[in-house]
Amino acid sequence: MRPSFPSSFLLSLLSLLCFSPYTAIANASSPADSISNSRSDYHEQLILRPLPLSTLLASFNFRSNTSLSAFEAHNFRFFPRSLGQILEHAGTRELHLRFSLGRWDAESWGARPWNGAREGGTGVEMWAWLEADTDEEADRKWLTLTNALSGLFCASLNFIDSTRTTRPVMSFQPEGNHIDANATNMHLLYGVLPHEVVCTENLTPFLKLLPCKGKAGIASLLDGHKLFDSSWQTMAIDIRPVCPEDGECVLQIEQSIDMVLDIDRSKRPRDNPIPRPPPAHEMKCNTSKPYHAHDTCFPTDSAANQDWSLSQIFGKPIKGTCPLTDPTVSPVCIQVPGSRVVFASEGAIEKKNPDQTSRCFDFPAENEFEIFLPAPEAQDGSVVIEHVVKPETPLLYAERSFTGHGQERGGVQTILRNPSPNQEVEFIYMESLPWFMRIYLHTISARVDGQPGKADSLIQEVYYRPAVDRARGTQLEVRMTVPPASTVFLTYDFEKSILRYTEYPPDANRGFDVAAAVITILNKDKSGGNGRNSRFAAYNLRTTTLLCNLPTPDFSMPYNVIIFTSTAIALAFGGMFNILVRRFVAANEGPESGLKKGVNKLKAKVAGILKKGKKESAPAVAAEVEEKKTE
Amino acid sequence: MFARRPIDHGAAGDTLSSETQMATMTSSPMATPLSSATAAQTSTRKEPPPEKLSDIRRRIWVIVSFWLIVLLLGLPVWWKTTTIHRANLPLKEMLDWADGKACRPVFPLRISIQANSLPEQEAQNLLRLTQHALDDLNDFSGHHLRLQLSSPAAPQKRNDEPDTALTIRLLPGDAVTATLDPYEPVLDITYPPNAAPSATSASSSLATYVAGQLRSTFAEEQAIISYLLSSNSIPTDYRPQSLTPEAAESLAKRTTRSLKYAPTYHLTFSLFTSGPLPSNWDIEAAIQDYLKPVLDLLSPIHNFTIDTQVQLYASPGVQNQVLSKDDLSSFINAAEWPLSPSIGGAPTVNFIVFVGNQTIALSSENARDSAEGGLTTSQSWLIPQWGTVYLLSLPHDTAHVSVDALKQPLLTFTSHLLSLTGTPSSGSLPLRLSTLSRIRSADLLLRASSTLGSLARLALALKSISIPSSVADGVSKTIVHLRQACETLGEAEGLEHARIAEAEAERAFFEKSMVGQLYFPDEHKVAVYLPLLGPVAVPLVMGMLNELKAWRKRKREAAEKGKEKKKD
Repeated sequence: MRPSFPSSFLLSLLSLLCFSPYTAIANASSPADSISNSRSDYHEQLILRPLPLSTLLASFNFRSNTSLSAFEAHNFRFFPRSLGQILEHAGTRELHLRFSLGRWDAESWGARPWNGAREGGTGVEMWAWLEADTDEEADRKWLTLTNALSGLFCASLNFIDSTRTTRPVMSFQPEGNHIDANATNMHLLYGVLPHEVVCTENLTPFLKLLPCKGKAGIASLLDGHKLFDSSWQTMAIDIRPVCPEDGECVLQIEQSIDMVLDIDRSKRPRDNPIPRPPPAHEMKCNTSKPYHAHDTCFPTDSAANQDWSLSQIFGKPIKGTCPLTDPTVSPVCIQVPGSRVVFASEGAIEKKNPDQTSRCFDFPAENEFEIFLPAPEAQDGSVVIEHVVKPETPLLYAERSFTGHGQERGGVQTILRNPSPNQEVEFIYMESLPWFMRIYLHTISARVDGQPGKADSLIQEVYYRPAVDRARGTQLEVRMTVPPASTVFLTYDFEKSILRYTEYPPDANRGFDVAAAVITILNKDKSGGNGRNSRFAAYNLRTTTLLCNLPTPDFSMPYNVIIFTSTAIALAFGGMFNILVRRFVAANEGPESGLKKGVNKLKAKVAGILKKGKKESAPAVAAEVEEKKTE
Repeated sequence: MFARRPIDHGAAGDTLSSETQMATMTSSPMATPLSSATAAQTSTRKEPPPEKLSDIRRRIWVIVSFWLIVLLLGLPVWWKTTTIHRANLPLKEMLDWADGKACRPVFPLRISIQANSLPEQEAQNLLRLTQHALDDLNDFSGHHLRLQLSSPAAPQKRNDEPDTALTIRLLPGDAVTATLDPYEPVLDITYPPNAAPSATSASSSLATYVAGQLRSTFAEEQAIISYLLSSNSIPTDYRPQSLTPEAAESLAKRTTRSLKYAPTYHLTFSLFTSGPLPSNWDIEAAIQDYLKPVLDLLSPIHNFTIDTQVQLYASPGVQNQVLSKDDLSSFINAAEWPLSPSIGGAPTVNFIVFVGNQTIALSSENARDSAEGGLTTSQSWLIPQWGTVYLLSLPHDTAHVSVDALKQPLLTFTSHLLSLTGTPSSGSLPLRLSTLSRIRSADLLLRASSTLGSLARLALALKSISIPSSVADGVSKTIVHLRQACETLGEAEGLEHARIAEAEAERAFFEKSMVGQLYFPDEHKVAVYLPLLGPVAVPLVMGMLNELKAWRKRKREAAEKGKEKKKD
């Protein structure tokens, strides 16, 4: 399957094939256009990285540029028209939108892809820089933006109201080039919807924004069944203006999807997804165990020897390349040790990177492309060879959980672990909490594991904006450090407030989602000049979301209250009124009660009937009746 | 008479039985003996001692004051807190507008005649005769052509009078001919020297000819306006009866085709292709060349914003090579093509160039007519109130669509845009546009009136709907602007006023807070009121009834006593 004839020839053939549309475009359009063409208006790339424990990280990245002049003239070519109009209408200068699901297992998978810059907390997260003269105007534009995006992405973004919107001070910095980045008319707003369930209806509009839709190129692999079946996935849209040092400013839209697939799970046929033990002859045994024999088997970490191909995992091969993509960027790359064999489909050219950990593939635009990764050959059974690239250790591990009990108070504890033996980590910890979690700021404290007493000197700066009931949430930003090779506990307490009857969601007993905390690890060397080269954040990570239980009432309450108070009032009023207006007389002086009268009437009637039936015995009956009465 | 009876009946029975022997047999007025058994029972009852007058009076005061509290305090508070705010609407006036009683749409069109070569006297006579002929021909009083003679001394002055709809230039020539100037609202009529009427003649063939020409020029406008009036509930005496069913049908088609009036339209030009090519087009230059001139002409009536997009891999809803009439409606792949309306309030007009070699089969009768040519095909179709699709067939490997290739599509789009905006189809362009502004003002006026009528009927029909004061404001603004529009109909301000009136009427009609409380089921009211009002109302009502009964009894007794006294 690997190319056997001179690859240079094939490369030139391929480049001819790929270039032909581009040369035509360049000839026909104006000089300015051809410059932007040479700078590549669109490119896409898929990076596959097998991770330990039989998982595979697939990172899809799509980036397209449009010149600001074309954008302002409303001529949309690669940039989606629908999004462009929304940005213009809402005066948005930079936009970041995230849809995420699942949890990144940092302990076994290591550092996050893109250093965590392209991911969000569970649910939907968005932040944007808006151009507005006043805060009120910014709020209005934010409302327009969230509502319009909500329609575009079929997500409940319109529920990002003032209680879920914050204005972070330290955690975010614009990624694009803005002429007046610190000007007062740039407003950063951040909103998060932790409860939102990301699903296929969000993927479809996401794919529609791509120039080649999901019809050609690497995007043809994406479909909802696989994407939302993954252990962790995040979809990101980043829009920012980029000004290269030479030439015109462009508006760049970068769409990326990162997903971690469980290879075992993905390889199961879709019509038979129930896991079953493999037949005995397919079992992989660990032959190094002393008790290994022909009838005993200690299963190896089956992941180690897993083989897979694209169509096994995604259900289909890649359908050619998108003809618009930049031919200098290889569409598919795979990060496996150089010693491992990777088969690609015919016509593809393999390019090994010098670092020996990744290789890329170019393939003709019309062909289907397929990668097959055979199981690594076990060398004499006992030596476990390096079959995946060793994951990088992240700069920081973070975990957050609730402490305390009861329905009145609670606490939040975040465990921050710095794995580096000699490097201190400085970061900003940001929480945007719902207003019904009233935090006690004086209880915020840091403690180093294994050392008695508080270590509040680790907290260097706190920015706190208290919540206003039903109007805005709490915003807490803490700049702190974690010393090398140590674990720090950051804790604070809060009080749960009681909501109004109508403020409870339909599934109130499920609990209320609390958005993920955003941890931005600051870049130590800020001397790298301006622009995108000097990144403000070295690494981003987010904790998981929390589920906060609030006291929930019985929802038939209003009618109970109505009935109860009415009864009480009626009893009190009736009694009082009767005492006031009735006259008290001796028992035998009053009129007969209606009931007694009725009973007497009935008795008389019965007596009359009996009299008619037995005329002779009538007096006796009457006497009997009288006797009974006097008893 | 009101006795608190002990609850324990057994005990009461004992005391009664012990008293039975003592009691004297006085017949009680309350219980008549039914049998010997009950007689024995009731005979034990005693009349309570007579009540003191002050006690009776106090009890009456208690009951009356409770009732006063309920009626004077409770009822007003209840009324105040549960009443629905209904602002006062001028319902009568609104309904008048809807029925066309408030405004009689009249379009006085001023037509000036330039007859520089005729002597003043003769020109005046010609004018008078033509006006006569016109009045004879015209059966529609709403659409009135009024002639005037423009002074030959200042022929350029015509431009300063914007309310002149058409200028007739009478020029001496060889034969009687009439030509419409294609760029200006001018009708050139040539006449042979002998055709001009003398200053005194009572009839003139030239006058009749001019009148006929004028009438045919404005025939379409007249038909459209009379159609508009007839489709609204304007009383019959205002409108002509001359509209034939066929004409009405074609007008109905046109009206449904054209977009609702809006001051701004978003024009979206999209290049769709089912494959990867072409991905680039010279749309900007093409728009500049072919569409911009028309947009500039339309600018007094509408504003336009333009955006363009390229969409690859967009497969149509129908894959047939030759599209039949039924296929056209499903050709647009609404689920996949990103044709969402533009953001903002204005409607979007879509113009789609679809690159592909599909063609449209015209209906079979047309095909048979042109038998030699085989199947007649076409390239484009118009989707009413939505836009146009143009099928552009290009060589397979075209990557870039040039201005030349876009010429035909854009010319098609231009003509379709005119019909989508509702421009009449005959006459020269300036005349069509001035007609368009008159039609639009009439249309807006009628629409605003009918919205007012709907609002009035809604307010009358739903008694429980709330009417916030913003609605009343909107209605009064609408009526003010409608009145002004009605006065200035046919002029530039007329359109502006009609536009404001229509916007205000729509805003008032679609006020959100009106529908919020529309549905409050009666069961809920019962569930809320009954538990409280039931137990409270029963003692109140019973107390009052008993007191009334007692009072009547006392009165009767007093009357009997009086009688007895008289007898004595």
